[in-house]
Amino acid sequence: MSAVDRADDLELDGDDDDIDEHELRRQEEAYQRQYENEQTWDQLQEDEFGNLFVDKTAEQRARRKRLLSAAQSARIRKGMIRYLLLVVDMSRAASAQDLRPNRLACILGLCRSFIREFFDQNPLSQLGIAIMRNGLVEKLTDLSGSPEAQVAKLDAGKLGSPAGDASLQNALDLSVSLLRSLPPYGHRELLVVFSALATCDPGNVLDSAKACKANNIRVSVVGVAAEVYVCRRITEETGGTYGVALNETHLEQLLLAHSSPPPATSAQAKAELVRMGFPQRSTEEASSAVFVGLEARLLSGNYTCPRCKARVPELPCECHICGLTLISSPHLARSYHHLFPVPPYHEDSKERAEEAAGVLIRQPAMRDEVPTSTGSYCFGCLREVSQPGAAGQLHLTLRCGRCKQVFCFECDAYVHEQLHNCPGCEFGGT
Amino acid sequence: MRFNLEGLTVYFPYEYIYPEQYRYMLELKRALDARGHCLLEMPTGTGKTITLLSLITSYQLAHKEVGKLIYCTRTVPEMEKVLAELAELIEYRAKYLGRGPGSNEILALGLSSRKNLCIHPRVAEEGSRESVDAGCRRLTASWVRERAAERVSRGTTEGGEEGGSSGGAVGEIELCDYFEGHERAGVEALLPPGVYTLSDLRDFGRKHGWCPYFLARHMMAFANVVVYNYQYMIDPKVSQMVSRELEKECVVVFDEAHNIDNVCIEALSVNLRKQTLEAAGRNLGKLSNSIRRAREADAARLQAEYNRLVAGLIAQGALRGGEDWLANPALPADVVQETVPGNIRRAEHFMGFLHRFLAFLRDKMASPVVTSQSPQVFLHELQERVQVDAKTLKFCYDRLSSLLKTLEITNTDEFTPIQLVADFATLVGTYAKGFAIIMEPYDERLPQVPDPVLQLSCLDASLAMKPVFSKFQSVVITSGTLSPIDLYPRILNFNPVAIQSFQMTLTRDCLCPVVVTRGADQMPMSTKFEMRGDPGVMRNYGRLLVDLSAVVPDGIVAFFVSYRYMDQIIAKWHDMGILQEIMQHKLIFIETQDVVETTLALDNFRRACDSGRGAVFLSVARGKVAEGIDFDRHYGRAVVMFGVPYQYTLSRILRARLEYLRETFQIKEADYLAFDAVRQAAQCVGRVIRSKADYGMMIFADKRYQRHDKRDKLPQWITRHLKEAHMNLSTDMMVHVAREFLRAMAQPYDRGAVGKSLLSEAALAALDAAGGLDGAGAAGA
Repeated sequence: MSAVDRADDLELDGDDDDIDEHELRRQEEAYQRQYENEQTWDQLQEDEFGNLFVDKTAEQRARRKRLLSAAQSARIRKGMIRYLLLVVDMSRAASAQDLRPNRLACILGLCRSFIREFFDQNPLSQLGIAIMRNGLVEKLTDLSGSPEAQVAKLDAGKLGSPAGDASLQNALDLSVSLLRSLPPYGHRELLVVFSALATCDPGNVLDSAKACKANNIRVSVVGVAAEVYVCRRITEETGGTYGVALNETHLEQLLLAHSSPPPATSAQAKAELVRMGFPQRSTEEASSAVFVGLEARLLSGNYTCPRCKARVPELPCECHICGLTLISSPHLARSYHHLFPVPPYHEDSKERAEEAAGVLIRQPAMRDEVPTSTGSYCFGCLREVSQPGAAGQLHLTLRCGRCKQVFCFECDAYVHEQLHNCPGCEFGGT
Repeated sequence: MRFNLEGLTVYFPYEYIYPEQYRYMLELKRALDARGHCLLEMPTGTGKTITLLSLITSYQLAHKEVGKLIYCTRTVPEMEKVLAELAELIEYRAKYLGRGPGSNEILALGLSSRKNLCIHPRVAEEGSRESVDAGCRRLTASWVRERAAERVSRGTTEGGEEGGSSGGAVGEIELCDYFEGHERAGVEALLPPGVYTLSDLRDFGRKHGWCPYFLARHMMAFANVVVYNYQYMIDPKVSQMVSRELEKECVVVFDEAHNIDNVCIEALSVNLRKQTLEAAGRNLGKLSNSIRRAREADAARLQAEYNRLVAGLIAQGALRGGEDWLANPALPADVVQETVPGNIRRAEHFMGFLHRFLAFLRDKMASPVVTSQSPQVFLHELQERVQVDAKTLKFCYDRLSSLLKTLEITNTDEFTPIQLVADFATLVGTYAKGFAIIMEPYDERLPQVPDPVLQLSCLDASLAMKPVFSKFQSVVITSGTLSPIDLYPRILNFNPVAIQSFQMTLTRDCLCPVVVTRGADQMPMSTKFEMRGDPGVMRNYGRLLVDLSAVVPDGIVAFFVSYRYMDQIIAKWHDMGILQEIMQHKLIFIETQDVVETTLALDNFRRACDSGRGAVFLSVARGKVAEGIDFDRHYGRAVVMFGVPYQYTLSRILRARLEYLRETFQIKEADYLAFDAVRQAAQCVGRVIRSKADYGMMIFADKRYQRHDKRDKLPQWITRHLKEAHMNLSTDMMVHVAREFLRAMAQPYDRGAVGKSLLSEAALAALDAAGGLDGAGAAGA
């Protein structure tokens, strides 16, 4: 019984060459069309004057959808004071190059902008950073309120190269030990940026997940490769979110989504008074330099804690002597907008434009000063916006439901993401 | 919901129905209306079982003339699953139909062997099925009970001690309390309507003190739905005892029937090994002794048997005792209704006859070369050498059973070898066509170890199915993979009134079948005989698994074409360091031929997936895992089929079968082999999708899958998702595809896509009014 015998009468597979050349080529092309074509020039379009432009309405619409959903959740009570531990995966998987230039560089860059955005939106909150590497978790920074010190730590050069396995359990345990002792009015959160597809743990990761839940820690994961069951399960158990990024932009969206405060859980929803201090800033003159803070650095500009008179270098922070939360009033004011967000603008349509024209005409004072009635200029930047439904519409045209003013897409984003006040409403006093 | 399907009110226990379920019901209903057989393919994960149950029970309700629903499953867990779904359906139906007598309540029960049903404290502990059966007979055979009864009556007439009928033991004769309880209750022993799983039956039996096995057998006559194993329908030995009483109007369903032809063939095949023959020789010695003893003690009994045989009473079932034991292995239509020939009527003569036959078999087995004979040639040789003729041979089994009963033998498990020999004799004597007798002196894989096997192999699957098709009005054959669907009517030789393959309507592309034809080095890969040993091919297969384990989360399942190839390639991978590389990403578990070991491996595999460690399960097509274990959700995010799982083509049995198929049904060898291989492959990759919310990669790693003759034999629900771009990939391209696919699937998805893939009651009403699904394509919108 050998190959000779086998070859005799049972010719199983016939000739291999009967596959059509043409078919092969078609298959090859189909593959290339689907996976290898990144011809960015395909997105270019040409208008009637021969000008080239990129149609971004679809992308903008998608972004607005997210804004809308964020605005809808505005009525939900939110955690204003957050304690967030950011864990960056630096296991072997982070060196993969499916994100450019590689996963780690991309993630670190986005984490830096996330941290800035986080403190911008939550000035009362604190954040700490840790990395997962070689099956361990290393703490990079303690929880603190200053963005720049944190951002400086997230430098690819200083961190070294990714290696070994990731351990989710160690990250969870670290978060428990760091966040457990924090005051109950604060929201405890763990955010893991997870490149790996497996977690290599010393014990059962689900036990640690239970500990997180017991300590009211909300675990969220942002994955970059694929859905991992255990992440899904832990985030569901602790009330967090789990997203998997499709590409760099999507990853950015997923990360930045965590910068706005999450809805408060019922356990934390009870009202509580928090003692805070509003320290004064000392003069900036070089002659007035004193030793400041825990590290006793010689600094000229500093703040003095109103309770214990200790000096701290920056706000917001916790006094290193008496533990009082020190902030300035603008910080408090900036957190305020989460409670009273600007109502979302609606995409403009013919009917809306007509209805708005009627309202606006009845406000003669307005008509003289700003070109509104035609609806063709943005109320924010005074640049021309296209008519709704016009051919070659470059951008979305939006209208505030309250003051009926028209805005371009950029102004809409600026108003809702940064300004938190509608200029039309403020101006008209309505 | 309750809806109207071409005039039939269907009760369906869910709020929404998939369009393919609706179509399935429609097709099934038309087949039932036409009183014919049908063949339906519908992908797994679309709720096939509930669809079947829902329609057929509703049909029974509307058409009283329709008999029972006989639902055949392959395994006990499947049986339990069917009964659980049925219970849910009945619960739902009760909302409309009410409860209590007269409200069309139904009785449904599962039937299994004594091993699964026995509640006798000692007998139930026995290990194997045969020993439980034997243990039961020791306590319940009619002569044992008669003797016990005699002793009791003698005891009471003598005014002696209290009869132990309730104690179970009378003197030293032990009886089974539960069986006695059931016997005493007689026709009064009835199950109230409801759905009874095996454990429900056992509980009920314990509570009432009735034997669950005999109760279930008894209640079959009253049940509306009976769920049992394939064997009970197909294997003539079993079906004659169990299924003979079923009426013609029954609806018989074979679920997961993609391997039904193999089940049919196994039911009519007998393998004899050297050990079997030796044990059969010892059995004969024992039988001769008992005959001698019986002759001395009670000659009248043997004489009575002789007289009965002369009168030809055997077939009329006039024989007392062991009522459900030793039924003829031949099909009912072929069992001769004649008197036993004179030369074996006397017990001693029959012994001599068996001795001669056994000697002949032993002699055949001593041959050092492989031989393959048709039954005629075999019979001719038998006649020449030991003067045994076919006619006598035919009666061998009946004669043996009569003898065993006459001798009042209860430890039947000891006599299995001689029963096998008689089985062999009867089948050879009965069938001249469709069988082959093959002698292999050693296993071809281990030529140095002598291990002779004499096989009587059935070549024609249609033989065992024929009585089923002719006896019952409607037979439904269904599975997730029946492609190419037109081949089944040919190999099973029947004319279905409906053949249909249904597709799955999905809200997203959650299947991603790909064909990987070459490694990253562009060398083709295949498990073709000339290529499989090539280290380059093995390395490429290894690289594929390494790369895949780096991009696929949680569980991966890999299937190989055979245990032998798996062992070979794992050893090679170990040398190349590929296993270590995989271990960096995932743990590795391997299926072995040992069931306990495999179960343990599976268990740990699941644990590794649950805890996020990730794991790879290496398994074998046609193995236990490929047939019965689901790798749904995160247990199987990707499945790899390494090679085309052809049967072992050098097997003599397969050769004989192929030849027979060609001559009888005009099916080309290569066609059949490809069909068989591809259905196995489809079965393997189908393990990962168990519901619509699930997703998974299906990787066919062999360049031969690129060919039309393979690809076209895959089920339509797979080929429909096989995009042109995925038909000829190298490993690195595949990794790219996998990444994209897994990312896309990880996005949150909208389950409530009502209308496109789900139909509500209102939508169905509209559909019915519009005249069917085709008439109103957009009715769901």
